[in-house]
Amino acid sequence: MTETAGLTRPAAGAQTPPDGTAVCIFAVCHAQTAPDLDGLTGHPGGGPVRTLAAGPLTLIAQSVSAADFAPEACAERFSDPAALESCARAHHAVIAAVARGGPVVPLPLATLYLGPERATAAVAGRADRLLALLERLCHRAEWGLKVYPVRSTPPAADPPGPDSAPAADTGRAYLDRLRNRQQERERQHETAWRTAEHVYAALARQAAAARRLRPQDPALTGGSRRQVLNAALLLDHDREREFRDTVAALARDPAVAAHARIEVTGPWVPYSFARLDDEEQERPADAP
Amino acid sequence: MTRSVHPVEAYEPLEPYPPRTANLADILERILDKGVVIAGDIKIDLLDIELLTIRIRLFISSVDTARKAGIDWWETEPALSSRAAHDALYDENKRLRERLTELETSGHHRHDRQKETEQA
Repeated sequence: MTETAGLTRPAAGAQTPPDGTAVCIFAVCHAQTAPDLDGLTGHPGGGPVRTLAAGPLTLIAQSVSAADFAPEACAERFSDPAALESCARAHHAVIAAVARGGPVVPLPLATLYLGPERATAAVAGRADRLLALLERLCHRAEWGLKVYPVRSTPPAADPPGPDSAPAADTGRAYLDRLRNRQQERERQHETAWRTAEHVYAALARQAAAARRLRPQDPALTGGSRRQVLNAALLLDHDREREFRDTVAALARDPAVAAHARIEVTGPWVPYSFARLDDEEQERPADAP
Repeated sequence: MTRSVHPVEAYEPLEPYPPRTANLADILERILDKGVVIAGDIKIDLLDIELLTIRIRLFISSVDTARKAGIDWWETEPALSSRAAHDALYDENKRLRERLTELETSGHHRHDRQKETEQA
């Protein structure tokens, strides 16, 4: 990443925090934002979640044991789904709490510094860009948009599965049927995909920014079918009503409902849009 | 799929940032590689945050945790994993070789049988 370019490396002696403690930074917000950190535990075993002042900005921080984030410790912890989940949710809970008080720039999971001074220096060095980003995220939230294909009823000509095929059925008929079924699946997927693009274009038009995410694994989403669209939209708070109405209208539209199911999540802290390298952000409103 | 088309179920009232109950994939895809990376001044083994973040992703994908948690998006991330593509090619290759052996074997058999008939 270009962020690292041109920055001096610390002296070799600085590699291990003297007292075995590192500082985990969760988020950055305006100095005048007063986040309510009550009841937040942060990462287990760490100190209290607290704020660090960095000029016009405030960091949300927690002292953690550096050993907890050593490679072996990480390997063990993040290989355990339950531990990974609790770590992710702890991180998310802190950021969500801060976001209730005002705009926030979330930092990735496990953003660690050797000490508070180093963390505040790193943030202060980018204060201008962070302030501009906070400005951009102000009064806006992220919304997740997912579109799933809907399996339409198979054509009448398509008999049920091979188990119930009559004994007289020939192998050739069986293969034909398989091929037809495959073609039908492909056609449905294609239609669902086009429907999703239509939905995305319609909703992204109302958004300040939009970007596509990778489709998620069906195992977690609970459905049997893979998303044809997974996207994030950055939406002005005062356009949420309009957004909600558009989603409802799209879902009711028979041309959409026949092929796709729309799922909206949010409001999210604008994780997907809180980036300093975001100039190249997608603006599908201008797309064909 | 019998689920009704009801997209607003996840649309809570305008209470901000509730997804405490959000699914793990939604959270992970956001917190692992989104958000500002204010890296740079710490270029040391364990506290290099960019590396740490990537390492976390690799840890997760290194075991079948990813599958259990329903997250496999980085398996298709070329920068992070050429393994998925490699595996796919390997499997394809293996299948083709097996098929080839099969065909060759049956071809030989046919050939041998033909010879036997001629000799008889």
